[in-house]
Amino acid sequence: MFIQTLVTGLAIGGIYALMAVGYSLVFSILNFSNFAYGSIIMLGAYIGYYVLMHMGVPLALSVLISIVGAAMLCFANERLAYSTLRKRNASSLYFMISAMGTSIFLENLVYATIGSRFYAFPEILTQQNVSFGGVSLGLLDVFAIVFSAVAIYGLHYFLQKSKTGIAIRAASYDMQVCQLNGVNVNKVIGWVFLLAGALAGISGMFLGMKYMVYPTMGWITNKAYIAAVIGGLGSLPGAVVGGLILGVLETFVSAYVSSVVRDVFSFSLLVILLLVLPTGLFGKFLEEKV
Amino acid sequence: MRTKWLALGLAVLFAAVVAGCGGSSGGADVIKIGQAVALTGDSSMWGQSEKNAVEMEIAKINAKGGVLGKKLQLIAYDTRADATEAVNVTKRLVGDKVVAIIGPGQSGVAIAMTSVTEPAKVPFIATTATNPKVTMDDKTGKVRAYAFRTCFIDPFQGTVAAQFAVKDLKAKTAAIIYDVGSDYSAWLGKYFIEEFQKQGGKIVGNEAFRSGELDFRAILGKVKGSNPDVLFIPTMQKEAALVMKQAADLGIKAKFLGGDGWGSPDLVTLGGSAVEGSYFVNLASLDDPDIQTFIKEYKEKYKSDPIMPNPVMAIDGLYAVIDAIQKTNSTEPAKIAEQLAKTKDLPVLSGKLTIDPKTHDPLNKPAVIQEVKGGKFIFKAKFVTQ
Repeated sequence: MFIQTLVTGLAIGGIYALMAVGYSLVFSILNFSNFAYGSIIMLGAYIGYYVLMHMGVPLALSVLISIVGAAMLCFANERLAYSTLRKRNASSLYFMISAMGTSIFLENLVYATIGSRFYAFPEILTQQNVSFGGVSLGLLDVFAIVFSAVAIYGLHYFLQKSKTGIAIRAASYDMQVCQLNGVNVNKVIGWVFLLAGALAGISGMFLGMKYMVYPTMGWITNKAYIAAVIGGLGSLPGAVVGGLILGVLETFVSAYVSSVVRDVFSFSLLVILLLVLPTGLFGKFLEEKV
Repeated sequence: MRTKWLALGLAVLFAAVVAGCGGSSGGADVIKIGQAVALTGDSSMWGQSEKNAVEMEIAKINAKGGVLGKKLQLIAYDTRADATEAVNVTKRLVGDKVVAIIGPGQSGVAIAMTSVTEPAKVPFIATTATNPKVTMDDKTGKVRAYAFRTCFIDPFQGTVAAQFAVKDLKAKTAAIIYDVGSDYSAWLGKYFIEEFQKQGGKIVGNEAFRSGELDFRAILGKVKGSNPDVLFIPTMQKEAALVMKQAADLGIKAKFLGGDGWGSPDLVTLGGSAVEGSYFVNLASLDDPDIQTFIKEYKEKYKSDPIMPNPVMAIDGLYAVIDAIQKTNSTEPAKIAEQLAKTKDLPVLSGKLTIDPKTHDPLNKPAVIQEVKGGKFIFKAKFVTQ
């Protein structure tokens, strides 16, 4: 049971990690929590579900469409809700309020147009299990772990090697100095939101396939937020580690204590950790952020 | 100076709006029926169906000339299936001077609402709130004068489920997974355990989770270890489908059993093959021959099936209120409540409605056991309250 719990925990943690990376990416540049991220994940899941079920698009392509769709939505989110605030040098509190408003708006938009029904993906991957040494793991989980790892590594590679990636990293240190050096900050921020949106599309598809698609599914990003804080806001490796720790911890608490007190443990961990390490595990306080 | 004019203008506008509201709500030629219903949130699927059904029925009644020569007017507000929101909504309905309130569908919400309806002396008729505390005040042990319902109650539902498990499914051991955040779920689980043990069965697991949970594999791992004959899941269809799906993934062999919270086609869409062969207790069934006309009308009007059983229970409540208005020849909420308690053999959508004056619960309400087979709900057995 111990190994099974650990493996289940890692599978859950993998998705938390993916979402936490998206969160951290935006935080590292604009220094605010993008609470609208959950709604982008939700919309990504709806897009993937729609093209798969109603347009007969194959699964792999629908994942891709979901990624592109969510990336574009995330980009539009920035241009509509944050760029004006940015131009006026608003404090991060206003960004957060704007993000919350966007989140509530998008959720209710889905309620009003699509409705409140729950949708489930067809059982393509969910019914198959992989067993090794008495431990069973859904094929979808294996797929999610591998895909998350590839996506996160791809992002890391992009940030390290590409010109845009370097610009993003530079902007995360100091946006103003970066601007003075001739970097188009507007463009850099656009890229960040596109990348975060792409990760939201992947997370949304996995969450939708694993559980179901419904308007409030974005609330799970609360967990991604905790994961990001545990790992150190703005740090990508931190977000990954934070996500995995949280997933494993939650599963163990559910299995050995009670599922009811799970969130009590998660939030206690968060509080205790912040008391000991105010910047999280990998946070270096405005030093190397991305 | 400009701000002064602006303020004055706004004040005039505000006064006009307030006066406008007063004018439209003061009409004596309509009878206002309130509805406290979940129109958004996780329970909105049933709530919207409830509202659609009542709206459709009221339009029909109005076309035939209304009640006491007056037209009925429905005022439906969204509770979001949330207790706090429901209290606000109920206050608004009382302020709107409705004669009675149809709904809510959730026990916790209904119990919260009684804090407003009792002092205001406005009756409500819950649709699917099955917890006994909805109509009985457990502090005084007395019946709440303004709380009614058209559905059966959880002790009966739990009893039916446990008896079915022992007698028909030949179960000797059972485990329960319930939602600790829902009165409905927790109490239904408790009543099931009591009756199952009375029947000689053994409870080998009793696991709780918090509302909104998505991943049950950790607690299901424990359930798998105790290997029960039956897994009783007294939750809503969303959690039930996820639990069954994940239980099937983990290779749990138990038979799945649930309550009326499962009664939505979503159970099959969400649960897929994992829900095949599971059973649940329900209040009404789509294949009930008595409600086929209603289902046809609903389908024609809204281009979809009514989500069972809420719309049927809501219409039953509406009929009970209309009957009370006609019998008392009055639109006084307190008089209507008094008459509601005396409802006897009233023909309603689900059959005949008799309200027990001692508990305000319906008498002899049948419960159906449905089986999920080939993606459809198949009628399996019927139990009637004593």
